[in-house]
Amino acid sequence: MTETVIQTRGLTKEFIRDEFHVVALDRVDIDIRKGEFVALMGPSGSGKSTLLHLIAAMDRPTDGEIRVLGQDLRGLSDREVSYWRNSHVGFIFQSFNLIPVLNAIENVELPLKLTTLTKKEQREHAATALKLVGLEERMRHLPRQLSGGQEQRVAIARAIVTDPDLILADEPTGNLDAASADEALNLLAKLNRDYGKTIVMVTHDPHAAGFATRVCHLEKGVLLESLQADGS
Amino acid sequence: MMRISNFLPLVFKNSFRNRRRSILTVASLALSLCLLGLLMAMYEALFYGPDPTPAQAVRLVVRNKVSLAQPMPLSHEQKIRQVPGVEAVMLQQWFGGTYRDARDPNNFFARFAVQPQEVFSIFSEYSLPEAERQAFVRERTACVASRTLADKFGWKTGERITFVGDIFPVTVELKLAGIYDDPNQNEVLYFQWEYLRESLRPVFGGEMDMVSQFILKADSPESVPRISREVDEMFAVTPFQTKTESEQAFVLSFVSFLGNLKLFMLAIGGAVTFTILLVSANTLSMSVRERIREVGIMKTLGFTPGIILGTLLGEASLMSLTGGLIGCAFAWALCAMISSAPIPFAQLRGLALTPLITLICLSIAILIGLGSALLPALNASRRPILDSLGHSG
Ligand SMILES: Nc1ncnc2c1ncn2[C@@H]1O[C@H](COP(=O)(O)OP(=O)(O)OP(=O)(O)O)[C@@H](O)[C@H]1O
Ligand SMILES: [Mg+2]
Repeated sequence: MTETVIQTRGLTKEFIRDEFHVVALDRVDIDIRKGEFVALMGPSGSGKSTLLHLIAAMDRPTDGEIRVLGQDLRGLSDREVSYWRNSHVGFIFQSFNLIPVLNAIENVELPLKLTTLTKKEQREHAATALKLVGLEERMRHLPRQLSGGQEQRVAIARAIVTDPDLILADEPTGNLDAASADEALNLLAKLNRDYGKTIVMVTHDPHAAGFATRVCHLEKGVLLESLQADGS
Repeated sequence: MMRISNFLPLVFKNSFRNRRRSILTVASLALSLCLLGLLMAMYEALFYGPDPTPAQAVRLVVRNKVSLAQPMPLSHEQKIRQVPGVEAVMLQQWFGGTYRDARDPNNFFARFAVQPQEVFSIFSEYSLPEAERQAFVRERTACVASRTLADKFGWKTGERITFVGDIFPVTVELKLAGIYDDPNQNEVLYFQWEYLRESLRPVFGGEMDMVSQFILKADSPESVPRISREVDEMFAVTPFQTKTESEQAFVLSFVSFLGNLKLFMLAIGGAVTFTILLVSANTLSMSVRERIREVGIMKTLGFTPGIILGTLLGEASLMSLTGGLIGCAFAWALCAMISSAPIPFAQLRGLALTPLITLICLSIAILIGLGSALLPALNASRRPILDSLGHSG
């Protein structure tokens, strides 16, 4: 068996605000192995984003265990978590979330600012990542000068520029037309297949889920049996 | 570890992202800091000007305690002479009047009626050829002018100079007997007190027995405070009380004739600083709050709260420092303009934006930037990621 990249046991997240008490994740046990491309599906409000945020250590669980890439996330300080995320996790949002004043290559370079790479190396890494997503012609364009699909590809380049082991995507195709969505999904599939990246992607779209190697379902915070998708 | 320079381009781009607002913020900071710098330079030039020269250090001016515009009886002179330590006394009468066209401020300069035998011993720093000095003493309508003044008007000895009186209803017609050199380069013209008195006799129908000031020369700088005290005490119970001060202090009281200049300048400086603080605090903190979502993105990419705080504060101080630098440049130019302009106050000729004042201005600029961004930046950097990302702003 290949190594387990993500492992949760009894993972629970509750949101308590005044008299509202929401159990967003209810004792989730999940194991994701290296090289898997997991599609996380489920109705709205079922806790998909919450699970992704806990895996990325963008939020802390209420209860339960979570180990990602061999690291017990509960044991890290906020500062340590930042550096851990910078070097191990690439995150892709539905709404791209590029910095509007920076052009494509500067956006992609941003995570490298936290590394010890020289300016020249940062530039080269960013250019390589942009080439990989097919945007070597658009390096100097600002986000507002790009189409939605191109913006999302810049965001994907930004997520992979630090060469992370794990890529997390929260409805990456939610704001894209069908053609752009397919481009993005093909890219993710390629990253998974050719570069061995482990990917967890939240999606509503069965077509998008078809690109994954495995599909998991969440329902009201509970993880249903996960199905092994056919394919590679 | 990472270098600060890694983040500078980001800081720079972010600072000026909203062009119109950045320009307004920088401009308001620049304007206010320019004003502040100018005020500080004036304050320094007036109140901490160059040390008095040895000749200035032993000079005192006696004037009416009520105000500069009130005269004193001539009879004070005899009593002042008896104060121990007083080496020489000269009366000095301010003659307002107009020279040529009064509308041109260039034609304004100090003209005094004095005793010609005394003036060059009291103002021992003046130098004048002996022949010219004698001509000044000899001829009733003679006058002498400082070289700065004579050069300004292109006067040569023998020049006819006419003043039409305003305080005094007479016209004095003078002939330039000499041009003296004054190391302080004041623009002053002296003519004979006796001539003024004579001209006024038919108008007043009697002798003029009042004068605006007495200039004293003390035997040493050490006796200046004592002489000043004793003179004023001597006239304390007379209808014409006096105020005796060092020459430098006297010039200042002349400058601040219209009010308490010192307090006035401090008040303006304080009000200006406070106002910019409020205005720029508002704009700077507004621009930080607009960035909360971006802060969330940067945190997702691995930026720590500390780095984010640093970048936000860096941006705010970059903006305010830019404003400060522009403001200082303008203040510097204004100082240069004022100090070379034809103004009758020698003090302002030393007006300059000194390195210390520049440093103070720039520090204030940075402090304003840091001070106004600190709270919103702390808030933004400490906000949980998901809160920031959910923040649409
Ligand atoms: N910060 C929060 N405060 C309170 N409740 C929250 C918070 N974040 C999420 N929730 C709640 O937790 C539950 C799960 O939310 P989550 O965002 O994970 O759902 P989701 O599956 O991603 O839904 P969608 O498909 O609409 O994105 C929801 O009921 C939501 O209201
Ligand atoms: Mg969601």
